[in-house]
Amino acid sequence: MFHKTKSLAHTAMALTIGAGAAHAQEAEVIHFWTSGGESAAISVIAEAFEERGGNWVDNAIAGGSAARGAAINRIIGGDPSTAALFNTSQQYHEIIGEGLLNDIDGVANRNDWDNVLPAPIVDAIKVDGKYYAAPVNIHMPLWLWYSSDALQEAGIESPPETMEEFFAALDALQEAGITPLALGGQRWQENLLFSAMMTNVGGHDLWTSVYADKDEAAINSPEFREVIETFIRLKQYVDDASPGRNWNDTTAMLISDEAGFQFMGDWAKGEFKQADQEIGVDYGCLPGLRADSPYVLGGDVFVFPRTDDPAQIEAQTMLVETITAPDVQVSFNNLKGSIPIRSDVDATALDECAALGMEILSDPSRQAPDASQMMEEYVYGSVQDIITELWNTDMSVDEAVSRFDSALRN
Amino acid sequence: MSVAELIAPAARRPVTSQQLWGRIGIYAFLGAMTLFFLLPLYVMVVTSLKTMDEIRLGQIFALPRELTFDAWKVAWSSACTGLDCTGLRVGFWNSVEILIPSVVLSILLGALNGYALSFWKVRGGNVLFACLLLGAFMPYQVFIYPLVRFYAQAGIYGSLPGVVLTHVIFGMPVMTLLFRNYYSGLPTELFKAARIDGAGFWMIFFTIILPMSVPITIVAVIMQVTAIWNDFLLGLVFAGRENLPMTVQLNNIVNTTTGERAYNVNMAATILTSLVPLAVYLGSGRWFVRGIASGAVKG
Amino acid sequence: MQTAQLTWHVRRNAVAYLALLPMAAIVVFAYLGTMAWSIRLSFSSSRLLPRNDFVGFAQYTELFGTSRWLTSLENFAFIAVFFLAICFVLGTLLAIFIDQNVRAEGLFRTAFLYPYAMSMVVTGLMWQWILNPDLGIERTMRDMGFSGFVLDWVVNSNTVLYAVVLATVWHGAGLVMALLLAGLRGIDTDLWKATRIDGIPAWRVYAFIILPILRPMIVTSLVLLSISIVKMYDLIVAMTNGGPGNASEVPAKFIMDNLFERANIGLATAASTTMLVTVLLIIAPVLYSQYLGKKGSSA
Repeated sequence: MFHKTKSLAHTAMALTIGAGAAHAQEAEVIHFWTSGGESAAISVIAEAFEERGGNWVDNAIAGGSAARGAAINRIIGGDPSTAALFNTSQQYHEIIGEGLLNDIDGVANRNDWDNVLPAPIVDAIKVDGKYYAAPVNIHMPLWLWYSSDALQEAGIESPPETMEEFFAALDALQEAGITPLALGGQRWQENLLFSAMMTNVGGHDLWTSVYADKDEAAINSPEFREVIETFIRLKQYVDDASPGRNWNDTTAMLISDEAGFQFMGDWAKGEFKQADQEIGVDYGCLPGLRADSPYVLGGDVFVFPRTDDPAQIEAQTMLVETITAPDVQVSFNNLKGSIPIRSDVDATALDECAALGMEILSDPSRQAPDASQMMEEYVYGSVQDIITELWNTDMSVDEAVSRFDSALRN
Repeated sequence: MSVAELIAPAARRPVTSQQLWGRIGIYAFLGAMTLFFLLPLYVMVVTSLKTMDEIRLGQIFALPRELTFDAWKVAWSSACTGLDCTGLRVGFWNSVEILIPSVVLSILLGALNGYALSFWKVRGGNVLFACLLLGAFMPYQVFIYPLVRFYAQAGIYGSLPGVVLTHVIFGMPVMTLLFRNYYSGLPTELFKAARIDGAGFWMIFFTIILPMSVPITIVAVIMQVTAIWNDFLLGLVFAGRENLPMTVQLNNIVNTTTGERAYNVNMAATILTSLVPLAVYLGSGRWFVRGIASGAVKG
Repeated sequence: MQTAQLTWHVRRNAVAYLALLPMAAIVVFAYLGTMAWSIRLSFSSSRLLPRNDFVGFAQYTELFGTSRWLTSLENFAFIAVFFLAICFVLGTLLAIFIDQNVRAEGLFRTAFLYPYAMSMVVTGLMWQWILNPDLGIERTMRDMGFSGFVLDWVVNSNTVLYAVVLATVWHGAGLVMALLLAGLRGIDTDLWKATRIDGIPAWRVYAFIILPILRPMIVTSLVLLSISIVKMYDLIVAMTNGGPGNASEVPAKFIMDNLFERANIGLATAASTTMLVTVLLIIAPVLYSQYLGKKGSSA
């Protein structure tokens, strides 16, 4: 009912203000950014869109899969939204294959996306030579966060730079009676921790040869075994109450100095900021535990369901331009905790961690695709099932390897 | 006049110590169980009345030190979901709009089915009924995709009629079961007499059967109000953006992916969302048992 | 005269058939249609969108090679058995105790029945909170000085199913109580007098005389509870999200995850078909004997 009155009000406004002029482009956007910081971030886009004369109709649904499910159902039901927040894995390719998305090549070519965007992002969104999605941010999911006070209390002089130093720090924290590693025992968080071991113990090559190439030799290699062993070794540093804990409650353990480290995406920054913590003083961020640690490019994209309505197509085009505009990119990503999708933006407005991320990103050899982009959803799902079982049971390394092998190469 | 009075100490007879201990045992058991059943409600109410600072102390069973109703206000009128900061109140009215036609239609159809199945010889009726009951055991999720397709073709996808029809479909097995069993326990004399008098199908249904259905209808209303009001999935998928029920907003408030969790607001929002079915239970619990007792759920 | 009667007979039956048309349409399209459709898809290679190819039993082979599915099935069996058994025993006890002519009967009845008005999501969230070692009972007990107190059901793979059963029993026991209480109220007082004269102990009367009389009530309550247990999804998502690890995964969640999150319709429909067949094998004989068998011909 509220929505009805709201759009009525907008229509009335459009009639009185813009009488005779072009009708405001109405765009209904399905997204799953419902929390405080996320809402603030998306409102940057909404405001910029309205400034350009559009009319943003917000449709927020909590939970990525619920929102994507709703978007897909709306498409199948013949009543698609103008745009929807989405991911770029197999679902994306399949709905493109069915002809359910409009391409946005016009805007993309006009803005030279081929050269402005990092290569892994282009690879992810470009299908059969056409762009079907507008990237909105780059999230690096594998940052290592630490509580400066907790580290200090455990007598750790400087944050670790290698895996050896990391384990030494974990031991020191344990001795000081502080939970060394904060982990929320949910499937995706356990998976995130495993990914961090893949990139930090295994490195860039192992990351892509196991997940993207599904190479038999790599899966059965000593390096991959070492990843699994290191992952198992971490179990002893996690507290008993870990299972089921939300990631932000886990971050709160660092904020209150109850725990030393947490692997989490750059969105964790928002939690520290909300608690009035300062980067470099109260907490710190490490992009990896080896000099050449890969910078994994996760992130969100908007897709634009198929429509022949010229007004809707115009609204879609305007949305793409708004989302990817440099000024919108900077202010949006500052609020979201991620970094802009394009390198030609003013980096001075970014915080320390984001600036570090931008710097690493400028080295193409460290750019790595997100795990979800290297596998189809159901394969990735099985992989996550194995990881969570590996973490929560006494599965042996041999069994884990053979389970990975059959899940990936099936 | 039941067991109760036989076991209960009658006023005239002296109370033996065995009987006394028996009474104490009965009350002790019921008391302990009451505590167990009320515990979650207590925690919810108490938490909703605390400030976040107090909640962070972690004593979930403690009474609030300073009582505040702010969380309730926020939950009702200003909690944010996405860009809209209008709380649950929008969803409340949407839920009411979905609830009323869904409850009325599903109960009417259930009564009609039960009546036709138990009083009229309809070939294949029992087979239909068996299929329906079996369908009740399928997870909703299986139905969603084909129904979305079907609704899209019928032009009711993402609309109020769409979501109402969905509730009617999924409420039908239990509603038909209730009414069919109730009617098969009714005496058939009235029905036969009416038929001899020449009354037709609808005539008998509206003038004789429906007036006799009050007890079971109360049971049906209670069950449907609970099921439909608490539904999240069907509302999310079929209602369309402008009719999203309160539970979807509750989910948006409670299950935000990131950001600080305001537990007091979450609890207040949860209680607010549960108020309608709770009120129905508190108001009609006695009728629920009576409705069933009057033969409502005979086999 | 005879022809007129026959015509009348046909016409009045025609109305009954007509009245059952909505039900027939829903059974055919919404239930049988979707079931057939999903069985069909379980033999295809469908991922995000349905495909019309045929891959034989490949999805089933994969399904039964998936350890998470096997765990889900085991968990389902565990939860179903303990949930039904405990609900039945507790609900029966509550009903019998309330029937002992206790004071404040309304209060007890409401306290036991109100959880049934709460949604599964709320139930799951509440118990997750109360059983969480960081926040709930364990922490409170430790703060009170019992430093060795452990109640970590929710976070322990070996015990998480107890926590799930606890929450579901909290939700469903009141329904059994209400149904059986209604049944007890309907029992002829002469029966009690007779057993008292014969000097049969009360517990034997309940076990061997009363409960068999209440069989229809018991079956109905078990059918209603079984429907909720087969569909159990929301509660698990809210309470444990299947964790720790896969320790509390259930079939409905497996189906849901594969339908939406993992875009694997083929596997999801194979799983739902498996569930359908399982339910058919277990439930069909019960439903048949209770609702159709003896009455099928006389209804």
